[in-house]
Amino acid sequence: MKFYEPSTVLNSELDTFQADIQAFITGELDPIKFKAFRVAHGVYEQRQPDTYMIRIRCAAGGITPTQLRRASDVAEAYGSGEVHFTTRQEIQVHDVRIEGVMPVIRELLAVGLSTRGGGGNTIRNILTPPDSGVHPDDVFDVDPYAMALTTRMIHEDDSWNLPRKLKINFSTNASDQSYTQATCLGFVAMEQNGQRGFAVYVGGGMGAKPMVGHLLLPFIPDTRVYHVARAIKVMFDKHGNRRSKYSSRLKFLWKKLERDGFLNIFYEEYNKIKADDTLNLVLPTVHNGAPETISLPPVSVTTEAFELWKKRYVVPQKQPGLYTIKIPLQLGDLIREDAVALTDFLSHFGDNCIRCDRAQNMRLRNIPEAYLGNAFTVIDGLKQTLVRHAAFVGNMINCTGAQTCKLGICLPRGLSTAIRNTLSDTTLDLDAIPEFRLNMSGCPNTCGMHHIADLGFFGKVGRKDGNMYPAYNVLAGAKTGAGTTAYAERYGELPAHYIPAFVRDFLKVYIDDKKAGTYADYHTFLQEKGIALIQSLCDTYKEVPALEEDDRFYTDFGAKNRLSLDEIGTAECSAGLFDMLDFDKKMIKKYSADLAKTDSEATESEPATLLGLILFHSVRMLLVTRGLDAKTHEQAFDFFDKHFITTGLVDERFRPLMPIGRANDMTKMVANTDAILDLAKTVNALYENMDDSLRFKSPSGDTIIEAAVASDDTHTVKDFRGVACPMNFVKTKLVLETLKTGARLMVLLDDGAPIQNVPNSVQMEGHTIVSKTPVDGYWEVLIQKA
Amino acid sequence: MNLNDEQVERYSRHIILQGVGGEGQEKLLAAKILIIGAGGLGAPVALYLAAAGVGTIGIIDADVVDISNLQRQVIHFTPDIGRPKVESAKEKMNAINPDVRVVTYNELFTKNNALDILANYDFVVDGTDSFSAKFLINDACVLAKKPFSHGGILRFDGQTMTHVPGTASYRCVFKEPPPANAVPTCSQAGVFGAVAGMLGTIQAAEAIRYIVGVGELLTNRLLIFDALRMRFRTVRVKPSELGIQGFRDSYDPPVCELRR
Repeated sequence: MKFYEPSTVLNSELDTFQADIQAFITGELDPIKFKAFRVAHGVYEQRQPDTYMIRIRCAAGGITPTQLRRASDVAEAYGSGEVHFTTRQEIQVHDVRIEGVMPVIRELLAVGLSTRGGGGNTIRNILTPPDSGVHPDDVFDVDPYAMALTTRMIHEDDSWNLPRKLKINFSTNASDQSYTQATCLGFVAMEQNGQRGFAVYVGGGMGAKPMVGHLLLPFIPDTRVYHVARAIKVMFDKHGNRRSKYSSRLKFLWKKLERDGFLNIFYEEYNKIKADDTLNLVLPTVHNGAPETISLPPVSVTTEAFELWKKRYVVPQKQPGLYTIKIPLQLGDLIREDAVALTDFLSHFGDNCIRCDRAQNMRLRNIPEAYLGNAFTVIDGLKQTLVRHAAFVGNMINCTGAQTCKLGICLPRGLSTAIRNTLSDTTLDLDAIPEFRLNMSGCPNTCGMHHIADLGFFGKVGRKDGNMYPAYNVLAGAKTGAGTTAYAERYGELPAHYIPAFVRDFLKVYIDDKKAGTYADYHTFLQEKGIALIQSLCDTYKEVPALEEDDRFYTDFGAKNRLSLDEIGTAECSAGLFDMLDFDKKMIKKYSADLAKTDSEATESEPATLLGLILFHSVRMLLVTRGLDAKTHEQAFDFFDKHFITTGLVDERFRPLMPIGRANDMTKMVANTDAILDLAKTVNALYENMDDSLRFKSPSGDTIIEAAVASDDTHTVKDFRGVACPMNFVKTKLVLETLKTGARLMVLLDDGAPIQNVPNSVQMEGHTIVSKTPVDGYWEVLIQKA
Repeated sequence: MNLNDEQVERYSRHIILQGVGGEGQEKLLAAKILIIGAGGLGAPVALYLAAAGVGTIGIIDADVVDISNLQRQVIHFTPDIGRPKVESAKEKMNAINPDVRVVTYNELFTKNNALDILANYDFVVDGTDSFSAKFLINDACVLAKKPFSHGGILRFDGQTMTHVPGTASYRCVFKEPPPANAVPTCSQAGVFGAVAGMLGTIQAAEAIRYIVGVGELLTNRLLIFDALRMRFRTVRVKPSELGIQGFRDSYDPPVCELRR
């Protein structure tokens, strides 16, 4: 049994990808283009240069013991040794060098695991609740739908170049354990007149601009899942915003078109195919049961620890005699030794015995009661899990944070550990709140799912006397449920260092009240007491000592250095660049309109001036898409000539306009009116046909060239600390020479002469110093190549 | 980037220069330059090109080192007296920079071997001391479409120009060699040693700038200086359609009847 079938064309695609990797290693393929290829194969560069993370698809969160073992094998052979479980119920292998990427991908494919679509603008991992098919409250098992839909969609060519990623979740009932209203497209199982089907939600999503999904269809028969998903995919492909990565997700399309507009274009696609039974998914049989023979002698355990473990982590399935087991992983990591022990054990229980859950934990299923003792012995013996803690501890969710993520402000992994340590020193009865969701993200993006938390935190920068310290916003009270989803609301903020104490104090009150049965549920508690409590605790814990008094407050949990500005917001520059593009576009429109108004009585100079302006803005408008920033009027023309005319993006016939525009020769403008207006039109058309990867397309839709735009959130890092002047500049310059215009380079420089000289020298060569940030005795200097 | 760590250090002051950089240095390492004459001009040219890391340097000269050479031919040292000049030069060049491959030709540059030798080089430096050799080099380079630097010194004076195909050649300035003995040679008139260094260094700079592709070459201009009063000037030279189709029968200077 497999949870999906990798695409049949994958092998030939991998040959191409292997050639791309080779070309990248030899320098023939530039890093920006390579990035586009590798991300689609689930290969991400980590914050450490030349180190990659590979994300592996696990449809319905499922993976077989054989597959998990192979993932651990490749992690051990080519990566950090750990298999990392994500909040999207899939796994990742970290710290893989470029040479290891291809072997990892091919060895995984040999056991039916695909990394294709792990990243990029495509159908991402399709999720179901980790207990789908085994929970007594299921309307029906949704795993077969997620599995069949995955196999279908990853075989389709038009799944790979969407405006942005498209996420699909299934829930087994209206309690909506898969948060279908917090994702692009959600299916909630229901029955209507004895017919299996789904309620369909669209346009939800968390992120920095969270939106709750809307009911698209109150009921579709279960045979129409693919038809709806296909219609959504096609309409998203046609209408999604490909230009701004900040508003490219499906939720923004709903926002832009509003309900009626969105439904119109949905039905336009859906009505075309909804009657076509040949499109029905072919559902696999997912058998939830134990193998008939288990070649393992049952072990009987009777200790108190075993009983406590069962209470915390073992739940009976709806299948009599079978159990699910949760294995709480520390920060989602399964180390090599533990993976070996677990997969050895699980190999006796068939292919359908593992799921990943959204709290980065492992779930086992279909374990017969007689083998719970065996399971306990194995799991309790694992070296790096939280199995001896209350379930609450392993349920805490945190994103990876600034350790590896370029957007991170704070380090939630460190915070999570600090909270765990603080709570383990108390007598709080955490077993009273096994399902409590304490979720934290390092920044306003929602990788740590703080929007759907009972108590959530997301990172921010605090300031005291001009010094920055790590801090978090405090949120609480998310509601989950099909049609009733509500995100957590913000009630205050805290310095990071007070959060463990805050959590302790808050939970103490809540646990006491819960055990006393004072309030009907958590939401009632929040309304009547909890919110006020959060606010008063935020007040209690607001004072940050001055840096001189206690500098610990200024260094995040798990951080080596004080919080630094550089860590923050490097990915947010491109919005400004696009504003500039829009400005040029507007100016062209305005001056063209003015030109049309000039009548025959106008003096010759007026149209000439307007034409000169139209020419300039036309030439400058698209430079930003190639990472170019013209410092002068002349440079705009030189750049355009080189990067648009010479490259063939814009026809040669416009070349004669370049010297005229460059010299701003007013005597020649009017004679070239047609050519100038034609150029403005051409540039606009090019822009209209640009896709979200900033590739330009010809009007026929063929991609004509890939723009060499430096992605704003990637840069090479070179450490030139300990390198004296001028060799540090020499080395910086040599690295810059290998980069494309617009690409970015981060150099680490010593304080003193290096920081005083190198940035100036780099600037003298025409490059831009984006930022200079002091970090604990050295400097991080971000350079953009001219 | 093909520079190794030692090369990055060795050439760091070039790499720092705007217009040269690592790319320019790599061009130099890949370049092949021929120096004709291992004498007063050839000496500084050879030393600077070797120091700059020009990958392949050819050097052609049939003479041996004479004690009278040492006053200006700084690549040769007293113990070298009697050795072939090209051997002496090669030893010094490799001592400066082992990166450089030095190809020696211990022979005269003649119309018979000219085109074969030129075929292996990207740029040519004329460091000879006779008009016949200068006209031969000019014609050979024009025929082979090779850029070259002309240089000449006498007493306290120096002159130099650079030819690249399509620009003025030496014959655009001087149509024919002067009659024999109309102009005294160095051995007759003497030469101020440092003038050789000044002019050879300018020629080396031209060769390097040509390879790197930076700045404005001395094309269609003749640079003349007088080291006695230390004045420099450039004279514009118009390229003329000379139609150099082949070598002349003889490059011996015409005999001046009057002076005889």
